[in-house]
Amino acid sequence: MARGAPLHENDGVRTVLRTIAWCLALVALAMIAGGVVLDRIAAEQHVSDADSWWLYPFLVAAVSAPAVVGALIVARQARNPIGWILVVGALSLAIVLAASPYASVALQAHPGSLPGGSWAALVSSLWPVFFAWPLAVTFLFPDGRLPSRRWRPYALFAGSAMTLLMVALVLADELEPPFADVANPVSLRFPDTLGFLRPLAWLSVFASLIAGAAAVRVRYRRSKGIERLQMLWLAYAALLIPLGIVWFLVWSLAVGEAGAGEAVVAVLLGMEAAVAIAVGVAVTRYRLYEIDRLINRTVVYGVLTASLGLVYALVSLLGGVAVGRGSTWVTALAVIVVAAAFGPLRSRAQAAVDWRFDRARYEGLRRVRAFVDDVREGRREPEEVGTVVASALRDPSAELLFRLPASDAYADRLGAVVVKPVGDGRAVTSVEHRGQEIGLLRHKCALLDRPDLLRSILDASSLAIEIARLRVEVRLQLAEVEASRAKVVRAGYEERSRLERDLHDGAQQRLVTLGIRLRRMQRSLPREAQILGPALGSAVDEVGEAIEDLRTIAAGVRPPRLDEGLAAALADLVRAAPLPIDLEATDARLPEEVEAAAYFVVCEAVTNAVKHGSPSRVRVEAIVADGALQLVVVDDGSGGATIGQGSGLVGLADRVEAQGGTLLIHSPVGAGTRIEVEIPCES
Amino acid sequence: MRIVIAEDTVLLREGLAGLLEDAGHEVVARAGDAEALMAVVAEHEPDLAVVDVRMPPDYEDEGMRAAADIRREHPHTAVLVLSQHVETRYALELVGAGGFGYLLKHRVLDVDDFLDAARRVSEGGSALDPEVVATLLSPQPRDDTLAGLTPREREVLALMAEGRTNAAIAKRLWLTERTVETHVRSILGKLGLPVSGDDHRRVLAVLTYLRASTV
Repeated sequence: MARGAPLHENDGVRTVLRTIAWCLALVALAMIAGGVVLDRIAAEQHVSDADSWWLYPFLVAAVSAPAVVGALIVARQARNPIGWILVVGALSLAIVLAASPYASVALQAHPGSLPGGSWAALVSSLWPVFFAWPLAVTFLFPDGRLPSRRWRPYALFAGSAMTLLMVALVLADELEPPFADVANPVSLRFPDTLGFLRPLAWLSVFASLIAGAAAVRVRYRRSKGIERLQMLWLAYAALLIPLGIVWFLVWSLAVGEAGAGEAVVAVLLGMEAAVAIAVGVAVTRYRLYEIDRLINRTVVYGVLTASLGLVYALVSLLGGVAVGRGSTWVTALAVIVVAAAFGPLRSRAQAAVDWRFDRARYEGLRRVRAFVDDVREGRREPEEVGTVVASALRDPSAELLFRLPASDAYADRLGAVVVKPVGDGRAVTSVEHRGQEIGLLRHKCALLDRPDLLRSILDASSLAIEIARLRVEVRLQLAEVEASRAKVVRAGYEERSRLERDLHDGAQQRLVTLGIRLRRMQRSLPREAQILGPALGSAVDEVGEAIEDLRTIAAGVRPPRLDEGLAAALADLVRAAPLPIDLEATDARLPEEVEAAAYFVVCEAVTNAVKHGSPSRVRVEAIVADGALQLVVVDDGSGGATIGQGSGLVGLADRVEAQGGTLLIHSPVGAGTRIEVEIPCES
Repeated sequence: MRIVIAEDTVLLREGLAGLLEDAGHEVVARAGDAEALMAVVAEHEPDLAVVDVRMPPDYEDEGMRAAADIRREHPHTAVLVLSQHVETRYALELVGAGGFGYLLKHRVLDVDDFLDAARRVSEGGSALDPEVVATLLSPQPRDDTLAGLTPREREVLALMAEGRTNAAIAKRLWLTERTVETHVRSILGKLGLPVSGDDHRRVLAVLTYLRASTV
């Protein structure tokens, strides 16, 4: 794993290092650009192969990829040698690559136009420097350190081998082609000595490459989690070598010997660029997790291509035998067969590769996809996604929490809110959908070693998670709205209660006091003032009537007998009603709000019946059954009542629903009205 | 009659005291809450305590609970509870035990009735507000015994339940005492209650019956 810069590191130093790296990268890019220009100049004089222009992109890529990647790594992790290895490697390669056209122009196209032609030719013969940085990377990737101390001798050997090869080339008697006839300015002219030195150096370099490959393998085996992915990236890019060789063979068969040399160069240059990009991905961790899919796809399409080629060959062969060689019909048939086979073969190959290379992920993804299909078809609830993810990851302890953006908290599938989720000894992974966090997964720590598995399962289920999240959120919001409605209704009841008390204990007491005072006055009138007696008496009577009015108003606000239960309050209601009411009410005590709601429902229903339906009888039933208060008000009036049309029934529905209850009105015209109410109560 | 008054509203308390004093009774002490009431009752051992139901500190049913305490601890002190509104929960039990009355506050304006109730209660009888009686007599679907009474019998029964004597009932209904006695016998027979010459025991029986059939 890459070491971050130490905290105390001077920012200035980092800026300088970053600037240096970018300067070196720019120099490398400038040199390769100059090399291309010089090559075009040489080509005009027919000293270079004019047809090789298609090599230029490979040349530029082989230099620019490590240069840019190296500079980026330095910018992020100035102390990680990998960045510097790439930058310096790119620069040295640019020098060697630019030296060749320089020498061509200086020595062949326009002799004498540029100085130091033979020195450039010497530099251009150092092309095996091409292997230098990839070799260093195999030993030091990804953190800039050797896999272990035991690897130090091998690394030293590799370094020595590379140096030896360079020395041998510099001191060579004869320069590399196409400058074989140019005199080496520093040749020592010891042909016998150098004759064995150069093959030995080459051999050592190849041995070092093998050692480097072994180092990569050792490190991959030891790696877990992110480092494993980093190593996979490197291995994937390195795999391009055998693929490149295959491509080269195909090419030389197709094109013939003429283009073979250039094809090799193109393959090697492309490989250099690919390895540099892979290193960049691995170290900067940008899209690090896609390596599994990349390898997977590569294998799938490799297998697919090979199978389709085989099918094509077989059909051509059999068709040729049957119809005769060279028939266009055979070719057409083969194409049709291949086209038809493509779809099924592709899915087979995909399944086979998934199954072969990563059973756990294959099974997990299959489960998740089946679940997502079920959700789409409405066979399962999206909220089950947590259980499905847990089983797909084979981690029964795994627990999915949905993010609630409004409150910055999380909720489980039942809507229980967790404000600051902690792992409880488990790891916590964020779940994202379209770049936004939609939840958290708590899972066993062992899964951290399989970030690719975790990621692909979560990616496959992210839509279901998002749907479940939205549903949980909506449900929570609805509960909140319901709670606040219940709160409003409750506040209404409390307000009524307070008002009723104020009327009874305030105004009514004052009136009673006043009445007593008048009465006493009346009773203590002196004989000569007896004439005032009847007047005072009727004043007291009026006070009494005022008190009666007040009590009626107070009872309408909130009947005090609700304190004694629904049955008592309803009995008073029935007694005061202007028509006969059959009442059957439970004596059970219910929550205050439920009793109040039920009372006012009956009150409103009876009022409504009398006002609109002119019934002869009303029947009221209030019983407790199935954990709910079941209220039925039936009359034999004219019916036709609905919740609309400004009736008091709208308010009724609100009251009932605020208690989580339901209100049903059955009121056919001419056949009376039946109001059924059910209010849940915990008893 | 020696009386204590417990009522937190000062003006009303003084009005009540004046009313009782005008009638020749002696108001020996006044209290503003249940605690003070218990203290003055213990100190004066009065014949009657006139008690407001709602008093400080909670304005719930402090007066009613104090009334129960007084009846238990000072059996010689009768209690007349005044309430702003009908509340039958404890009242019926206490009325059943005698020496207790429960009236709505504004009944006080009907001074003679009020004084009569006070006298009855202090003599060990009972007084129950007509409105409370009405809640007891309201038709019950599960019991048709009451429905079997004639309207006149129901009137007589209501007055009996209020704690009135045959004489008082006769006066109220413009009947002779003999007619009232006939009605009473008929009512008690229909309700299956024992016939008794004692007014008080008769009231108890009626109230017990009504309570059992309603609550």
